[in-house]
Amino acid sequence: MKILRDVYIAGVGETKFCRHDKEYDVLGREAALMALRSSNIDRPDMVQSAYVGNATNGLVSAQTVLKGLGMCGHMPVIGVESACSAGGMAVYSAIKDVATGLCDLSLGVGAENHSLHMQRGTAFAASASDIETMHGAVMTGKYALRAKRYMYETGATKEDLALITVKNRRHGTHNPYAWFKGEISVEEVVSSRLIADPLTLQQCCGIADGAGAVVVASKEMIQTLGIEKPIKVAGAVVQSGPYHNRPRDITGDDITESCAKQLYEESGIEPEDVDIVELHDAFTIAELLYYECLGLCGKGEGLAYLRDGKATHGGECVVSPRGGMLSYGHPIGASGAAQIAENVRQMRGQCDGYQVDPLPRVSMTHVTGGGLSGTEHAACTMHMLVSDW
Amino acid sequence: MPAKDKKKPKPAKEPDITFFHPDLLEIPADGTAPYLKGYKCKSCGMLDFPKQNICQKCWGEDFEVVSLSRRGTLYSVTDIFIGQAGMETPYIFGYVDLPEDIRIFCQLEGEIGSFTCDQDVELTVGTIRMNREGLPIKSYKFKAVDVEAGI
Repeated sequence: MKILRDVYIAGVGETKFCRHDKEYDVLGREAALMALRSSNIDRPDMVQSAYVGNATNGLVSAQTVLKGLGMCGHMPVIGVESACSAGGMAVYSAIKDVATGLCDLSLGVGAENHSLHMQRGTAFAASASDIETMHGAVMTGKYALRAKRYMYETGATKEDLALITVKNRRHGTHNPYAWFKGEISVEEVVSSRLIADPLTLQQCCGIADGAGAVVVASKEMIQTLGIEKPIKVAGAVVQSGPYHNRPRDITGDDITESCAKQLYEESGIEPEDVDIVELHDAFTIAELLYYECLGLCGKGEGLAYLRDGKATHGGECVVSPRGGMLSYGHPIGASGAAQIAENVRQMRGQCDGYQVDPLPRVSMTHVTGGGLSGTEHAACTMHMLVSDW
Repeated sequence: MPAKDKKKPKPAKEPDITFFHPDLLEIPADGTAPYLKGYKCKSCGMLDFPKQNICQKCWGEDFEVVSLSRRGTLYSVTDIFIGQAGMETPYIFGYVDLPEDIRIFCQLEGEIGSFTCDQDVELTVGTIRMNREGLPIKSYKFKAVDVEAGI
């Protein structure tokens, strides 16, 4: 989006990601309250607009989350849904309100309980009436198709893909909000249960529940709130997936590539300037492809980028420093907001035990959304943040 | 009047589908080979599948139905062990690229682990899932080209 005036992130919040018995709205309120309090906001009527991303928990989910905080009645509260992009899009919408001058203080939340009402032993499909869903499509399988083709074209092995899980779980080891974390061997990853060939269980994000929240403010409001470490929004982009039923290269990702291009252009930041990235590593193959799609390396260089340690601490760009979706699990509508929350915490040096060193000054997030027939993804949302103190 | 007579008769339930879908797949009554239906826009000539109500390129609304090639190339394939709710596993799906520059997402009929990228496949008809009454829903599928048949 064209950002018309300076926009900042004042504070962020998130819940631990795991299987929760709490409903999505309870999780959403926990994250929102943490974000609001950390922004020095101490009463419910200060925020002027709010957006809540959710994918599967039903109607009026935004108002359901915020009414319990006394935040309904005085401002517009709008639900945002685009499958896995919903949480990122909610933050994008809050940024848009502040960037255009509609208000000075807005809230973006992503909240989801994905496991509580789901039949165990089944896989997620993004759109029930879609022609591909009718023919049995599930997201695990759609990514498996990308993996199969990537391996066929490049000679990459299952063991190569497993390195992504090993890296991200290691990154998340000391992150209290992450779920699956710590040491895991390549052997354990490849020998785990086969879900959609060649993807094994440990190469797939867990079906998890959680929430993230981000408070967005104008420059004046940042000063009024007394925020010491404001994070500036350098760019925010939402795109919809181009639709066609022609052959396309699925070892790339058209929507991620065009979304990243727009983000780099609008923010004036180059890929080599980015210190940390949280991307849509819902499956191992995705992170590998996105190194290339995001321009962190050239086309066909993703595997070398990974093997040479360029995507981890001490490398060129720490990818998934929080542990990514492979550690957090992926509560569909929550992830996009939680990614932003974690990047803000990293830039503020608040990640004890998993802090990127030196302190990152530029961070990027990326979430796609929905596997709709004729598109690689129905949506893509990206944000570029820079520290401003 | 007895209370039961006041009850409105329940409308007969429409049975769930067993064929997916007449706009997509033709199985000729004369026993000739089934084919997928492409839709060629009469205004701009763009050929598409599946059926569009309006041409994505020019918003034309008149289409000529053309039969698409029965053979294509398997671009990528996966064996599914954890599937959609209500679907029996394992099953196989993939993308088939037709010579008309059209990509079809479909289930594949054959043995688990038997398919590879870039192999030739051909159209067949089979069960893709069960409907809510437990009856099979038929649709297009692809299978390995039968070499022995000398096609």
